[in-house]
Amino acid sequence: MTAYRYADETTPPDPVQVSDVAIMRFEHIFEVDPKLMTDHLSQQEFPNWDTIRIVAARHSHLAWMHDHWTLKVLSAGELLDDITREDAGS
Amino acid sequence: MSAEPGAAPGRARPDDPAGVEGLASEFVAEWRDAAYNCYSSGHKFCREVCPVMQVTRNESWTPTAFHANVVAMEKGELELADVAEDYVNCTQCGACELRCPNTLFTGDFYRFRTRTVDLVRSMRALTVDAGLDQPSYARWNLLTDERRHEPVLGEAADGAPVGQDRVRDWADDLDLPTGGATILFVDCEAAFYRTSVPRAVAQILGLAGVEFGLMREQWCCGGPAAEMGYVDQAKRFARHNLDDWRASGVERVIVLDPHDYITFTEDYPRYFGDEFAGIEIVLAIEVLAELIRDGRLTPSVSIDRTITYHDPCRLNKRKGVWKEPREILRAIPGLIFKDVDHVTQWSYCSGAGGGLSIAKPELTAAISERRMGQAAELEVDTLVSACPWSERPLGAAGESLAIEVMDIHELLAESLGIEVGGSRGA
Amino acid sequence: MSTVLTEIDPEVAEALRAAIGDAHVIADRAARFHRARVPAPFPVHRWAEHVPGIVVLPGTTAEVAAIVVIANRFGVPVVPRSGGTGLTDGAVPLRGGILLDLKRLDEIHEIDLENRTCRVGAGVNMLKLNEVLGKHGLIYPDDPASYPCSLVGGRIGTSGWSLIGSRYGHTRDLVLSFTHVLPSGQVIQVGDGGGAKLSKSSSGYSLKQLFMGHQGTLGVATEATLKLYDKPEAELSPFWAFESYEEAYRAVGLIVRANCATFAGAVIFDPEKVAYLRRDDEAYIPQPESVRALVCAALYGNEEEVEAGGRRLMRIARDHGGTYLGDEISQGDWAARHDRYATPLHGRTRAGQVVPMGWHCEDASINYTAVPAVRKEWHEIMARLCRASEIFDDWGIFAYTNGPTGADYLVEIDVGIWEQELDDEAWQLWVNAKREFSAVAIAHGGSISACHGSCREGEVDLVPTELGGVFDVMLTIKRALDPGNIMNPGKYLLDRAYEEVE
Repeated sequence: MTAYRYADETTPPDPVQVSDVAIMRFEHIFEVDPKLMTDHLSQQEFPNWDTIRIVAARHSHLAWMHDHWTLKVLSAGELLDDITREDAGS
Repeated sequence: MSAEPGAAPGRARPDDPAGVEGLASEFVAEWRDAAYNCYSSGHKFCREVCPVMQVTRNESWTPTAFHANVVAMEKGELELADVAEDYVNCTQCGACELRCPNTLFTGDFYRFRTRTVDLVRSMRALTVDAGLDQPSYARWNLLTDERRHEPVLGEAADGAPVGQDRVRDWADDLDLPTGGATILFVDCEAAFYRTSVPRAVAQILGLAGVEFGLMREQWCCGGPAAEMGYVDQAKRFARHNLDDWRASGVERVIVLDPHDYITFTEDYPRYFGDEFAGIEIVLAIEVLAELIRDGRLTPSVSIDRTITYHDPCRLNKRKGVWKEPREILRAIPGLIFKDVDHVTQWSYCSGAGGGLSIAKPELTAAISERRMGQAAELEVDTLVSACPWSERPLGAAGESLAIEVMDIHELLAESLGIEVGGSRGA
Repeated sequence: MSTVLTEIDPEVAEALRAAIGDAHVIADRAARFHRARVPAPFPVHRWAEHVPGIVVLPGTTAEVAAIVVIANRFGVPVVPRSGGTGLTDGAVPLRGGILLDLKRLDEIHEIDLENRTCRVGAGVNMLKLNEVLGKHGLIYPDDPASYPCSLVGGRIGTSGWSLIGSRYGHTRDLVLSFTHVLPSGQVIQVGDGGGAKLSKSSSGYSLKQLFMGHQGTLGVATEATLKLYDKPEAELSPFWAFESYEEAYRAVGLIVRANCATFAGAVIFDPEKVAYLRRDDEAYIPQPESVRALVCAALYGNEEEVEAGGRRLMRIARDHGGTYLGDEISQGDWAARHDRYATPLHGRTRAGQVVPMGWHCEDASINYTAVPAVRKEWHEIMARLCRASEIFDDWGIFAYTNGPTGADYLVEIDVGIWEQELDDEAWQLWVNAKREFSAVAIAHGGSISACHGSCREGEVDLVPTELGGVFDVMLTIKRALDPGNIMNPGKYLLDRAYEEVE
């Protein structure tokens, strides 16, 4: 259950630099390095729940889009593994 | 700014063009970048998910237009009076801002997302300050201010039972304490109109052994006033409620209404900042799902209904809460559950939110009819919602289709063997 | 100070109200501004020049016809608009007049499960249609980047391009027939032959394509019969990384020419595009520097056929320098391409600061062998543009297959334009660049546009050059069908049709 607590929501985890232009605060979620948003555009107040909500919605949306277009999504990784095995065996 | 003497601070009057212009300029300056972030993309992915657009097909009443107006105001091409009324056409469901690629694909990355709901609220606040607000909104909020609760039972002066003395009537025979560390907050629609909902929640919590009380003096949460642009009133109501919580040592507020949940987790933190620390807000539906998961509640009375679930906009779109209601429904024996996934439901709505039903009840009715038509295609006998505000218009639209509208808490209580009591409205 | 707009004659407004009812005739200033624009970069500083005099929202074909008749009677321009998502300003009025908004024509009239067709209004969106068709196991596979918001009517008026057109065809192949209101107001049924649900006929002239892609200059489609497919059993969408553009280019050619029947499309991303993706795309931020170009392919169809084709393509890519990027990136990125519009915050100043930029993709239809040369020359044009003004930003180049044999590609260069800073001088720089992009396409034996159309300022100047004698035929047809020049006047240089007779 996700209770709302003000202090928790307004304190994001410490960032880790992942590239010249990106940081990471939550696992696997990249964010722009805030130094790129100082001159022309300011970042908004962003409670932690909102970041989590958007990322979850994105994943839901992408899964939905696959279902919308096809009954089944095949794994190219599995096909590549098959080919590699076949080649090794031949 | 040159407001007339006697005008409230920060307010202008329609007969004071300079004052109105000053307020509009401040508004444009605040929203300029957000407006260009929409205008310069022109995706319009918001359009087909917008409930108002779906029933009117009017491009002027789309989130894209709401943002473009700001650009046009900046360019001096449109004035406040040209666009003020258009902003009535929004339920603040949040579909547009979630579906916008500027939110869905990059909002978290830049910490800069589309905020149509805030834009609409801000524009409505501007129209209030400029004296251009909707008469229907003004009346509703005046009555709310007088009675401390929204006039959900109509305007009859002679005893329409919405008032401070009646706010706990729904719980008359339930012997609930006042105050305590945990309280249950009940929204106006549920407290006065669909009283079966708070009765169900209170009795389920009691059955599970959850200790809670009611507020000493509960007022409307203030959310609807904020949604319609009456910011001062919204803040006064919020201040009253927070002071009441503080005075009685409240640490945790259980909320059964999605609209209240938004107000407490988005508006109150903005109003109060650090002062809001120490108050925990929890959704009843999440509490109940956890109690079922933990084995503290076991629905056992079989319910012979074929249902579908309506994702309340403020839970699904605006908060990402869609799993728990389904968890609860799947725990109820006997139900045939014909689900529609939560992403498809980003474009579903009852039309009841954001003041639309006050200014344009005919649009609310049309949106509800559309929603119930979608339920009818599934050949269900019951639509289950988790939002008291949606249940009145959806219920009305369901009558001709012979589809009953129930609240998820009512349904769960029934499956737990509880005689709920109360009223499901007219 | 707001601009004084050209107002519609009250007599015209009255006639329109009498024809379709007061509720659907809108004259207020905001409503007119909303319908004067399409996706960026719109010359925002000249917005008012494109505002229509009045907006009408008809609900039937008969009402559309009545509106066009009124326009003829009073000699007032009519500009059709459905989704308003086109990228060549087809729906942008150049001379005010009546804005014919088709969004209320949003009914699904018929789904024919046996013949695999449906009949829909011009105001129906494809994603919403497919939500309904999906319940029957069917799909209408017209898949532009604006898939969640563009409408069937606009797809006809612009002769749209589809991401998976290599498998299912483009709009011109998928629309079997349609109800069309001619510039005179006469209503005709256009298709292959007389039957509404036929995909091939040899009877009479083949006029279907004449009434597609005309950008509203030859009338307006109000209802369409569409070809449906079974919803595919399976999808495969591998993405591969390459260490050079040259390797990726060679590989994509081989992938397309592998002749897999389930092949639905392939895309090549150049190094500038990859660098752009590294700005903010979660899939590409962590990629090593050695990743310089990307290729993706998509296959749709029966599971065993997709699987067999997929094996073949995976082997080709692997053997020609492609590193598979994994299922998560491949599947995630492909799913996002059904609604792939740029977001403004991709924009950067020279100092690397984030600014909201409008997105424009200049597209052209280019043969495979000419793609590298066009790419090189386009980036040179962009480099000059970026040197001239900081409001422009090079977002890289894609090339998408137009068809299953790999003969030609939709090549597009994505350009960011910081509209908040746009002025006449910068706009002129942009218009000149557009003309240069088009000239390069023509010089390499291509076409100015594979997808968007070519009637925006700049590119349109070269349409007669590209089309030669065909442009003269366009003038003849325009004059014959629209003697009063009331349908979307000023577009495609078609005014020349009337200069000749004066």
